[in-house]
Amino acid sequence: MVDAILLIAIPLGTAFLLGLLPGHWRGAAYALTLAALAVGSAISAAWLLEFAAGADPREIHTAGAPPPFAIALRIALAESAGLLLVSLSALFAALYLRDTLLKQGRRAMAVLLIFAMALSGLILTRDLFNLFVFLELTVIATGGLVLLSSDPRALGAGFKYLIAAQLISILLLTGLIFIYHAGATLNIDELAAISLERLPGGTLAFFLVFIAVVAELKLFPANGWALDIYESAHPAFSALVSAAAGTAALFALDKLLAGGTAWLPVATAIGCVSFIGANLFALAQDNDRRLLGYSSVAQLGLLVVVVGQRDLLGEAYLFVAGGILLAHALAKAGLFWLSGLIEGRDLTAWAALRRRPLLLFAFASFIALLIGLPPFPGFYAKWELAHRLAAGGHIALLALILFGALLEAGYLLRWFGHAVKGTPPEQGPARAPQKMVAVHAALAGGWAAGYLWGELSGLGNLLHALPLLFALAFLPLDWLPARVKNSLAIAGMLGWFLHAYPGYDPLQLIFAAVILPGGALILLASYQNGGRRIGFYPSAMLMFAGLIMLIEANDSFGFFAAWESLTIGSYFLILRGRRSQAHALSYIVFSLGGAFLILAGFTLAAQGQTQLPLSALGDAPTALAPWVFLLLAVGFMTKTAAIGLHIWLPGAHAEAETDVSPMVSGILLKAGLYGLFVLLTQMGSQQLHGIDLTHAMLWIGALSALLGNLMAIFQEDAKRLLAYSSIGQMGYALFGLALMNHLGWLMALMFVINHFIYKSMLFLSVGGIAKRTGTRDMYRMGGLITLMPLSFIAVLIGIIAISGVPPLSGFGGRWIFYNAIMEGPHRLPLVILFLAGPIAFLYLFRLIHTIFLGQLKDEHRRVREAPFWIILPQMIQVALLLGFALVPGLALRHVDAYIGGLVPGGGLDWEGLTITSAFGYWSPVTIMLIVGVIFASLFAWLLLVNRRAQRVGQFNIVFAAERPYRPETTHFAWNFFAPYRKALGFFTQPLATRFWAALTDLLHAGAGLLRRHYSGDGQTYVIHLLAFVVGVYLLRMGL
Amino acid sequence: MDFDWIRIPYALLTLFIVFNYGLLLNALIAKIAARVGRRHGIPIWQNYIDLIKNYGLRSSITHGAMYYLGPVFRLSGGVGLLLFVPTIHGSLMFANLSFAGDLILALYFVFFGTLGMALGAGESGHPHAAIGISRGLSQVTAAELPFALAVFSVALQYQTLSVSEIVAAQQGGMLNWTLFTNPFAVAAAMLSFLGSMMRPPFDVVIAPQEIPIGPPTEYHSSYLALMQTNRAIFPIAKVVVYMNLFFGGATSWPLFCVKVFLIYMVSVLVGVVFPRFRVEQSVRWFLVWALPLGVVAILLV
Amino acid sequence: MTEIALATGFLLILIGLYGALTNRNLLRMIVAFSVANTGVNLVLVGVGYLRGRAAPILDATLPAAEAPARIIDPLPQALVLTAIVIGVGTTALMLAYAYRLYLTRGTLDISRLRELKW
Repeated sequence: MVDAILLIAIPLGTAFLLGLLPGHWRGAAYALTLAALAVGSAISAAWLLEFAAGADPREIHTAGAPPPFAIALRIALAESAGLLLVSLSALFAALYLRDTLLKQGRRAMAVLLIFAMALSGLILTRDLFNLFVFLELTVIATGGLVLLSSDPRALGAGFKYLIAAQLISILLLTGLIFIYHAGATLNIDELAAISLERLPGGTLAFFLVFIAVVAELKLFPANGWALDIYESAHPAFSALVSAAAGTAALFALDKLLAGGTAWLPVATAIGCVSFIGANLFALAQDNDRRLLGYSSVAQLGLLVVVVGQRDLLGEAYLFVAGGILLAHALAKAGLFWLSGLIEGRDLTAWAALRRRPLLLFAFASFIALLIGLPPFPGFYAKWELAHRLAAGGHIALLALILFGALLEAGYLLRWFGHAVKGTPPEQGPARAPQKMVAVHAALAGGWAAGYLWGELSGLGNLLHALPLLFALAFLPLDWLPARVKNSLAIAGMLGWFLHAYPGYDPLQLIFAAVILPGGALILLASYQNGGRRIGFYPSAMLMFAGLIMLIEANDSFGFFAAWESLTIGSYFLILRGRRSQAHALSYIVFSLGGAFLILAGFTLAAQGQTQLPLSALGDAPTALAPWVFLLLAVGFMTKTAAIGLHIWLPGAHAEAETDVSPMVSGILLKAGLYGLFVLLTQMGSQQLHGIDLTHAMLWIGALSALLGNLMAIFQEDAKRLLAYSSIGQMGYALFGLALMNHLGWLMALMFVINHFIYKSMLFLSVGGIAKRTGTRDMYRMGGLITLMPLSFIAVLIGIIAISGVPPLSGFGGRWIFYNAIMEGPHRLPLVILFLAGPIAFLYLFRLIHTIFLGQLKDEHRRVREAPFWIILPQMIQVALLLGFALVPGLALRHVDAYIGGLVPGGGLDWEGLTITSAFGYWSPVTIMLIVGVIFASLFAWLLLVNRRAQRVGQFNIVFAAERPYRPETTHFAWNFFAPYRKALGFFTQPLATRFWAALTDLLHAGAGLLRRHYSGDGQTYVIHLLAFVVGVYLLRMGL
Repeated sequence: MDFDWIRIPYALLTLFIVFNYGLLLNALIAKIAARVGRRHGIPIWQNYIDLIKNYGLRSSITHGAMYYLGPVFRLSGGVGLLLFVPTIHGSLMFANLSFAGDLILALYFVFFGTLGMALGAGESGHPHAAIGISRGLSQVTAAELPFALAVFSVALQYQTLSVSEIVAAQQGGMLNWTLFTNPFAVAAAMLSFLGSMMRPPFDVVIAPQEIPIGPPTEYHSSYLALMQTNRAIFPIAKVVVYMNLFFGGATSWPLFCVKVFLIYMVSVLVGVVFPRFRVEQSVRWFLVWALPLGVVAILLV
Repeated sequence: MTEIALATGFLLILIGLYGALTNRNLLRMIVAFSVANTGVNLVLVGVGYLRGRAAPILDATLPAAEAPARIIDPLPQALVLTAIVIGVGTTALMLAYAYRLYLTRGTLDISRLRELKW
């Protein structure tokens, strides 16, 4: 094996050599630089392979003597990986900087080499003084490389950095000498062996060194100078600072703490403050590079937490730290490199990426890497970290980390929203091949790391999951025409269903049938879209893959990974809507918040077992079980948009594209219900402080039903109306589940099927109408029944079904509901539900009346029926609704028997045509026949007595014997239920919206205000640093 | 399926009896109301005349398919409601078609006619029709709530959803009626009853002075005739539900006639005394006065 | 003797920091940091000094066998030498920055370099 000391010698030698070259041999100098960095990368890679194969760590004694007589270096698995990271980022930075380096000449190249060398040294060395030297070299090299920037402000930033570095070096040196005085050695391993704490002055000495290294990590809040560097330096260099220098400093801290386990809690605390503080401040940023700077600080803070929890993590330490570090380094390097391709510095300028789908994909991947979404390494690492923290009892820390992660997701995804939805400039990013190479290398590295971490996790590699691979396969196929991809997608979904359905239990089968064949049905409407529809299929398939993996999951990890996948997929889908930027953001923030609650719930239940079988959820310790239940239930209810957590839904569902709304409403909402089914099956009802949690759910369900319905009747926008109606409908289903009896669950399942059919149908109809009329405001429509008869039929059948009027299937749901509540002990929430029922009637009538009936508007006289492909699935759904109304037993009798094994209470008797419960009976076929016969006879009678009826013109109405002026204005539609608003409008005060708005405003305003402590003054920053040092010391001593 | 085909003529017989009784009763009540207002009122056979006239009118126009179907929906709702509930207790002959479903079916089938009528009136394109529907739907959501609670309370009380079983449980003397065994439920239901009979103070839906007659504004000739037919049947069908649930049902036709008349008269008595509520007033009225009674009813059962 | 050296060293560090924090002129700040660096170096030497020991030079009067007991530990001195070199490097870099800043911004006042903030 090549000696690892070459990693220091080669760049150093090359840097000297560059000095000997004639000044104008720039090409040669550049080639030499690249070669040196490439060789360094190759050596590190070779070592990494060797250690990965199981080699023992190597000690390298410089000058041929063991410590303390000479400086020792060590290379092992982690070191070799860190070295590879450093060399590769330096190599790609050199590539990226080609033009700048060629202009600046060999001196700049030499400084870059020294920078790489110093970082490698930091990683390798086992000697404290050597550490100091390499740190100072890093400082000097940084001082040089900052000047590569074309930004004139970089000068000031560099100087502030140097001032701070001076202070750090003073601390470090003073600490060093006292450590030496106390311990008589500077070798890190020997120091670790003699426990400095017990020696006189040892604690203070160690503290000085420790705090200096922490300061070098640029942690919040004493890091103003670092943020200035991130913002103003050349992006390639900022990438290096964030990815490589951060990594190296982290290695330094890790080594140092080998001898100071008493300082681990301090590291945890500092890291935690840094993670949350920096993420909070980033909320108020609109400069991309400064935002990345804050994000770097936050990520390094998280890594310091991981270092601080080293003992708790045990053998998983490297896996966790490595996963987070790798994700951070790759993403941050990639993002800084991307920022070099973007002209403007405002976040909105990133819309330029829309001109380059591949770069946009890279951007999305980097964001996902940073947030720790599957299938990237951060996801596995955070899963492991959360489990260890929960098992170790560090619940508060876990909660803080999750909160910080949510903040981070918030600003990163808001940024992503700007990029996807902003108006792109005329010109996309300039084409610079060497810069592209760097970005794409980071991209490839990210995915490769995801694969690797999946393999290492031992939890099952998500990149081996067939549904996910199917979804990802649409990425390279995105050049195909949309219709071809649509056929592929439908074939894939149906194929998977046919392949998998024999293995499902009846409950899974119902959900799977809604997801796969149901999804395929809605996808028929997507044939309407021509062109390529870039990005639609990967997102949609990701959502469906997540959904079906959720149904099939057997353990907590699979379940959670599926949950995240479907969340991301649906987020991308919703984001596609024309005005959906803000709504998609609120959707994803709520969803991720919910997901984090679910994660916390699983970790609490698992007690360290990273792959908890779902069937073992009920075995959670008795003291924790109610909390597990609460966390999981609230997480799932975020998805079903229970009242209070619902504010994301109306916008997200209403602003989505025509064929996306039915998917996210009809299918996606069921994910939350499935989660609740699983939860209640496994855990039953739980008591928390004497409150029965399922009883609380009962109230939430009833309130959701009432308020969802009430808010729906006051909407002018048809899709919003339907969206609010979903809140109400999910409230009913939630209520049914919370009844915890057989019929309640059956009713919830009935809602799953019914709501899928009629809500997706209505969204399609309304979408088709909006497409034709160019508006979603119902009062702008009217009289469309003759022009769009098929849409009318779909809406008519849909509203009859929803309102529960016999003979359609909605009545079955109501009938089961009444039977279910006969058994339930809780009567008060029922009152609310009873009030909610007829209100549904109001908004449904409004929907059909103001769109199809009343007076036609002049501008719509030439409107045609909705496109064929949008009508086709609706007609199939009409048939389904009628079929389901006639023979509900076909779908329900098996699951009825299955539920009997899960919850108490009698089921239904499906014998013959009449369905019987303990209380009543109901015969769908007979009802249909009777109603049909009565209706047909009366219709025939009317035809007989009224055979000469003739159709008259639109305005031929009794209007005091006059024609009204502009008769189309007589369409009574706007604010249709004004009296109702007067009577009950106070219920629809947007309290929840105001609460969440106030919360986000508070966070943003707080961030905006507090970040002013970064006054921009270099001296203030030194004072910050001093105060930080003193503060940490006092806190540590006080503890 | 072994189906007793004789049930169909029996059901039609019920329909026939109720139809005639309804026409007469409506006229009688109109006359009573007129006398209260010191007017002479209509002859008792006036409804027959109107009906024959309207069915006989030859000129007729239509505004579209839903307009055409509206009265059909309306009358189907009335007839269906009547036939899904047994009329005479203990008589197989007049148990009608109640084997198709229980109380819940009856409750929800009320909306069938409402919906169809609303759709038909909507397509007529007349703003007064739309205003009437808006008012009617708003009011009915609040008015139906106490009734729904009362029904649920009664179902809980007797532990069944079957109408015949509920009636059976009330036999054996007046004190077995729900009226006395569950007074709160009956009180709530009767307040709700006021709201569903289209009489003052809850008749703003058809408010003749403001919006001619609301939803049916555009209807005439045989359409109107169909709806008039329904006006004879539907209130009776509704009262039958009340009678069965709360007042011990009826074991014979004479008893039936008396009970229906008396229950119907409750709304008339209130109606001739009170002026009209606006919609938001009536919504609040039901929530403030009738709802608590319903809540008490389901809590006390 | 050692105490005096240490006390002087710390005093110099404090003076240097005080100077760096109270002076807004870049050059004065650099000078102040040089003072502080000198103080650090003095502390380094002071801590490493052992009273009554010989210089760590092995010759006829100081055989290698007796050396550990009779010489001053040479390491701190080596450290000081390195630290001085590094300090010079950093100071040079800071001076170069100050020069460039003066050329481009026409000022040496640190409080005017505040366009990057928040």
